[in-house]
Order: sequence, then C-alpha cells, then structure tokens
Amino acid sequence: MTENESTTDYEELQEKLLSIKEQEGLIGYILRSSKTASIDLKDPAKIIDYALLSSAVFDESQKLATVLDMEEIESIIVEGEEIKLLSMKINGYNLSVFMEKAVDHKQIFDSLT
Amino acid sequence: MDRDPYAVALSSALTEIQTAYPDINHSFIFTQDNTIVSQDANIDQRTMNRIMESFEELKEKTKTIGDIQNFQINTKTGDFTLFAVKDMYIVFETSENADKNQIYAIRKVILPTILKVVDTIESSSDDLAENYLQPDEEITHKELTVDTLSGFFAGDSVQIDLETLIELVNSGDPNEDQDDILENVDHVRIETFRGDSTLCKVKEINDPNLKGKNLVRVPEKICRNLGIHKGDTVKVKALL
Repeated sequence: MTENESTTDYEELQEKLLSIKEQEGLIGYILRSSKTASIDLKDPAKIIDYALLSSAVFDESQKLATVLDMEEIESIIVEGEEIKLLSMKINGYNLSVFMEKAVDHKQIFDSLT
Repeated sequence: MDRDPYAVALSSALTEIQTAYPDINHSFIFTQDNTIVSQDANIDQRTMNRIMESFEELKEKTKTIGDIQNFQINTKTGDFTLFAVKDMYIVFETSENADKNQIYAIRKVILPTILKVVDTIESSSDDLAENYLQPDEEITHKELTVDTLSGFFAGDSVQIDLETLIELVNSGDPNEDQDDILENVDHVRIETFRGDSTLCKVKEINDPNLKGKNLVRVPEKICRNLGIHKGDTVKVKALL
C-alpha cells in the first residue's frame, strides 16, 4: 500500500464513519493504525477505558484465532450488558465502533466495508 | 446430589448437538469463575488454558461495558462464538460452512428450551421436597460469613472448615475418614440472599487462625461476580 493509497483509504473510512456517526444509538469509534489514532466518543471520560478495551479485543481475538487455527479475522462483536462493540480491520486500520445493544451491528458493518 | 442440573443438561445437550452438527468443531462450557463444566475431547488442556487466559484478559477489560453477554469472532475459516447462559458461558467454534441459522436456532431456541425444562423439573422437585421431605431429610446448607481471599495464590477455590464440610455432607457415618470427605466433596454452591449463586471448588481453610469461625473464604473475583463483600452472610451447599 503506497502512502497515497493509504491516505485515500483513511479519508474514505473517515467519510463512512462520519456518515454513520449521527445514527441513533452510536456511541463513537476508535480508528487506529500503527502511526495514527482517531477517536470520536460521545463521553470523553471513557476514552482510556474504551481504547484499552478496543486494543484487548484485537489482541485476544487474534490469540484465540491462532490457537484455534482460524484464519483472517473479518469482524469481532463483544456485547456487554448495555453496550456492544464491533471491531474490524480495514486496509490496515483497526476500527472499533461502540454502540447501544439495540443497534444493528450488521448494518454498521455493511456500511463500513 | 451430583452436579448442577443446568450444567449436566447443557453438557449433555452440547454433546448431542455436536454429534448432530458436524460443522461445530469444538464446544465447551465454563462457569463465570472459570471452572470448566464440559469440554469436548478434541481440545487439549494446553489449548483450553490459552483460551481461558485470553477470555479472562478480555473479561477484565470489558467491565467498562458490563459483563460479557456475547463475544463473537468471525473469520474467513469459521466463527468463534461465546455467550452467557445463567452463570455459565457456552462456546462454539464452527467451520466456515456452518449454517448460521442453525447455530442461531441452537443458541436462541434449543438451549433456552432445555434450560426452561430444567427450570420446570427443578421447581417441581423443590415443591416435592417442600411438601414431602421431613426436615432432617432436607438438603443441608450452612450460613457462613464471607472472608475475602486475595493475592496471587487466591486461586479459584473457596475455603471452609472441615467440620462445616462434614456437616454439609451429613453422611451420618461417624467413622468416615476426613480425607474421604474432602475427596468426595469437590464443589460447593455459594448462594447470596439476593438469589445469585455460583459453583466453586472447595478446600479446607488453611490458615489456623481462621478455623472454627464459621467462615467461608472466597476469592476476590468470585466475590465481585456475586456482589458480596467481607462480613456478608451467604448460604453454602455441598455438591458431591
């Protein structure tokens, strides 16, 4: 991936995120690459907790996939009692979208991929 | 009494389901305090330990969004699905060809139906016990005061006095060897007065200063799961 391609991918992804951001029940997202991070959460007090959670979800899911001989993660869903998290890798970026449980995460996944 | 009826029912159901649905590669059940209730023969202990370690790490971080109800990894070669049922977690690892509708039906229809049946049987047998059992035939439980176990060696077992264990087992045989009792009683159920309960492995209290004080020493993570604190009173029942 060239730097230009990477910038375009990032901009496209940001546009898609902007388009879903105002959807009812969306709490925010964390978009991370090896060099940059973009965080947009309705409650800034949660930034650290959600960033740690997002990172743990990617790390532990990868470990589980490796242990169970599963190849190439497409998406991860973690549902807590009130909130759920959809995580995925897109063009080298780790993206975690936080939402209320009632939100259709499949529709969010389709909008972003 | 053998094991938790829910665990027995779910475990048997999973074995049958896995036979009927070959696209389920692995399935297992564990409790919220990480006691494995059912594990299929295709997973070796090392793999199991690594899965449990990863889940424990994840559970720690997900406290910020509440206890995990559902965790799913979708990959190009299959899916890993974990979901909470009562005080247990059920895990399926399915191949890429697995019919998602069938898995959904197992999860949302078959397993809940089994649980509902066990619920009905349980409440019928409770009624039976209430109506027909003499007081001295009732299942023994003791009310004990919670003391928290913390630190690196806290483990996942609760500790109670050997004398209390003997009372709980109530075999009526005065000559029974104490070591036999410890061998036979492998789990106890800890139940709060709010009705929350969990199965725990049990050991004898190892601190001589805490013996004979009507205590149950409970690891901190189990205390957190049950929402109990040092000094609270809980009901303890033995599971043979």
